[in-house]
Amino acid sequence: MVQRTVEEALVLLRKRLCDPDFIFSAFSDSPDSNYSKLKFIVSSSVTEACNNSLLLLGPRGCGKIAVLDLVLEDLLKEYPDMITVIKLNGLLHCDDNCALKEIARQLCMEHELMFSKMASSDDNSQFMIAMLRECGLAHKTVVFILDEFDLFAQGKQRLLYSLLDAMQSVSSQAVVIGVSCRLVYRRFNEITDKLTDSDSTFSNFVRFLFSAVSCIDSRSGYMTIENFKSALLTIQRQPKLDCLKDCSILELYIMVCMKRLEVKEQASYNFNSVMKEYKNIHDSFQTSDNYSRNVCLRAFEHLLDRQLIEFADRGHNQFIEFRSVKLLISPAELHQGLKSNRSCPVSYPSETNGIMKVNSAAKG
Amino acid sequence: MSKEEIPQVTRRTTRFSSSHTPNADESDTKSINLPPLTLRDLAFREEEPLTFDGLVSSLPGRRNEILEVLRLLGPVNSPVSPLFVYGGESTGKTSTILQVFRHLNRPFVYSSCRTCYNARQLFENILNQLLLHRKSEINGYSSAKKCEKPADFVNLLKESLVGVVDGLKGSKKLEGRVNGSMVYLIFDSLELVRDWDKCSTILPLLFKLHDILKFPDVGLIFISSSSLDTYHSDTGFVDPIPVYFPDYTEEGLRQIFMRNQSNSKLQSAFLDLVLKSFCRVTRRLDELSTALTPLYKKYCEPLDDLDVIPNEEIKRKLFSCIQPHIGPALNEIFRVTTQQSVEDEITYNAKRKKSMMKFGNDFSDDIGFHMSTSAKYLLISAFLASRNPATLDASFFDSTGGSSNQRKKRKGSEKSRDLKEASEQELFMKGPGTFPLERLLAIFQCIASSEEYELEKDEEDPQETTGLGGDFGENNLMSDILLQVSSLCNANFITKGGTCPLEGSTRYRSTVSEDLALKVARSLKFPLSKYLYRR
Repeated sequence: MVQRTVEEALVLLRKRLCDPDFIFSAFSDSPDSNYSKLKFIVSSSVTEACNNSLLLLGPRGCGKIAVLDLVLEDLLKEYPDMITVIKLNGLLHCDDNCALKEIARQLCMEHELMFSKMASSDDNSQFMIAMLRECGLAHKTVVFILDEFDLFAQGKQRLLYSLLDAMQSVSSQAVVIGVSCRLVYRRFNEITDKLTDSDSTFSNFVRFLFSAVSCIDSRSGYMTIENFKSALLTIQRQPKLDCLKDCSILELYIMVCMKRLEVKEQASYNFNSVMKEYKNIHDSFQTSDNYSRNVCLRAFEHLLDRQLIEFADRGHNQFIEFRSVKLLISPAELHQGLKSNRSCPVSYPSETNGIMKVNSAAKG
Repeated sequence: MSKEEIPQVTRRTTRFSSSHTPNADESDTKSINLPPLTLRDLAFREEEPLTFDGLVSSLPGRRNEILEVLRLLGPVNSPVSPLFVYGGESTGKTSTILQVFRHLNRPFVYSSCRTCYNARQLFENILNQLLLHRKSEINGYSSAKKCEKPADFVNLLKESLVGVVDGLKGSKKLEGRVNGSMVYLIFDSLELVRDWDKCSTILPLLFKLHDILKFPDVGLIFISSSSLDTYHSDTGFVDPIPVYFPDYTEEGLRQIFMRNQSNSKLQSAFLDLVLKSFCRVTRRLDELSTALTPLYKKYCEPLDDLDVIPNEEIKRKLFSCIQPHIGPALNEIFRVTTQQSVEDEITYNAKRKKSMMKFGNDFSDDIGFHMSTSAKYLLISAFLASRNPATLDASFFDSTGGSSNQRKKRKGSEKSRDLKEASEQELFMKGPGTFPLERLLAIFQCIASSEEYELEKDEEDPQETTGLGGDFGENNLMSDILLQVSSLCNANFITKGGTCPLEGSTRYRSTVSEDLALKVARSLKFPLSKYLYRR
């Protein structure tokens, strides 16, 4: 019985955490919030029948779109049948033809018209301008939301020009809202307003909460500090260190060899030089891990797969052995990785440390 | 040895193999009359969902990961943030996720970016599954919707998701057969998308899909073999929740190898012997299982009765039998070899009284494949052309057939030694050089003719025959050299390099190692080292 109620509570919590509108509705009350500012600007152009353009700037995941959605939702309730919202996303519609088609499609949907997939881009563009004029005459506002605005502002920007041209004409009544996480080179002085939100990690924080909520034990049904701790662990992963922990002894050897080559300040090195170094280590330290070249080559490929090392050149038709490589981890990370590796023998870290010390001494 | 088997087969066969791979052997395809797909096909078609215990025992060593995934997926019909499942190769990511869905019996759509090799394939595959569309002869094996652009995909996806979720919510028939009305989209092998043409738009789209759709009844699961920090992106995105699958521990590996064994005691004794040393080289399950399977066969060979429960004495006996094989197997670990060649090597090694962990235990003259004599000569010529500097060709291949290099060896001043070191370093770094086809043919003529010369002393001076198509035409070695060259290229002994910007002709490069070249030369009794420029 308890379990069922706990489950219901969990579902509710998860629903809320996954719903940005709910999260940001908390901010809608305060008068000087972004919500109020935004609402004022958009509603003024609805009531005063003027054109407007805005650019919302802020780091990724700070809730720009969520606040905007809240504003529009409220305005749609306040002024029913007076606002048409067209949503575009730079990731999907940065191609001009595609964007015009999508605008035409959404306009048709909104006004219950037949949308023709076959219409040419020119047709769509004319349709859009005609619709803007009609809406203006009927005192209806069209709100264009351009998410990932920086992607629209690349290339010829035909879409932006045609939109803003249409807005220049007296009869139209439109608001263009660009949303971006990066500063765009602003060629359009119409786009003036700038709203920045300081809470950059908001989405990350929500994600963390979600992770913590998912840790709740469904039998007890209480959130404990442990839930948060384990959630923190899953969110703040260090992928390179995890990778290092999983490496086999041979793979660690190869990385230590590369490290040694870097300490020697060899400008560039490849698998062959690593193998030479590997032999050197074996000769001077008499380790038991001496494997044939083929086995080492495969371990080398594993490291490439794990992205702990990477090719430094772009030679495509060369063989792996001859392409120069580089380590993608810092010496400190490697050292920590050697220490934390599960299968690493106890003496190993100190030994490699010794190797490195010997080397730097020789250098000095 | 039981390799941890990916248990997706049951479902894949019902939904995919039948539709995606039209069976060529089937004489009358019309007789295949599959029932139309229903919403139920979105989950595993099984009467009894997998129990939790069954789930955990079917995936040894993955208990923590299973629990984490289950926790994040949450109770039925609860929204979920996008998950990013990552970990090394063959750590059971895909099988764990699919088995978890078999346990939960919730509807999902699985598509792998490996089989769907571009954006269009991926989009259409997902839509086909959601629209319960099956490619068949009737529809000309076409997809349900044509969809190339991300914009169209998002619209169609939204539409079909609404349809599916409404269907799941509305239908009373599905009650108890499929759990919940949420659909999960699983994207496997996501790391491959990075190499696609338009990856700079597809990847951010996939990662932001949840935000773009704004549809609470869909869950996204990404499976990737590389971690999130390797997905560089221009536009950036809010990271999905990471779920890490570490490599199997030695204990986990042991449990996996112990599965489905007829004689577990024997297997365990065997693993005691080998697993630790093999784990030092790699912990990847796929590689270990290919290496250990033949070794286990070898281990069992002395036994008459495979069901015997081994006591200490038998174990000791078996150990002494297997011991000489472990070392070579360790160094063979990743090569697919015939049993014969391993055995040859072992006997050979025994003869030479070599210690087991020695480098380069392949001294046998057997090159392991058959090749015509002229192809062998060509191979050697290509090797020489790649190793020797072109300027020295004249001195190597004069009329006396390479005796002149004795002269050079006398120099040994300090300066030349420095030079020697530098050039050695260069060979190390640069690899084999390139050469034009003409040079290859010239060298080939020289070495083939000098060989002739030595075999038949009465033949005329070979230098006269160096011109292409001279009186060499009657020699059967020359039969169709260009054809041979192209077949060597196809066999990847010679690769075509880039064209030389000045001359405009294609340049070639030999890929054979020195060991192999020496072996080939030995099989021809050709004195390769005499012609090789030693720096």
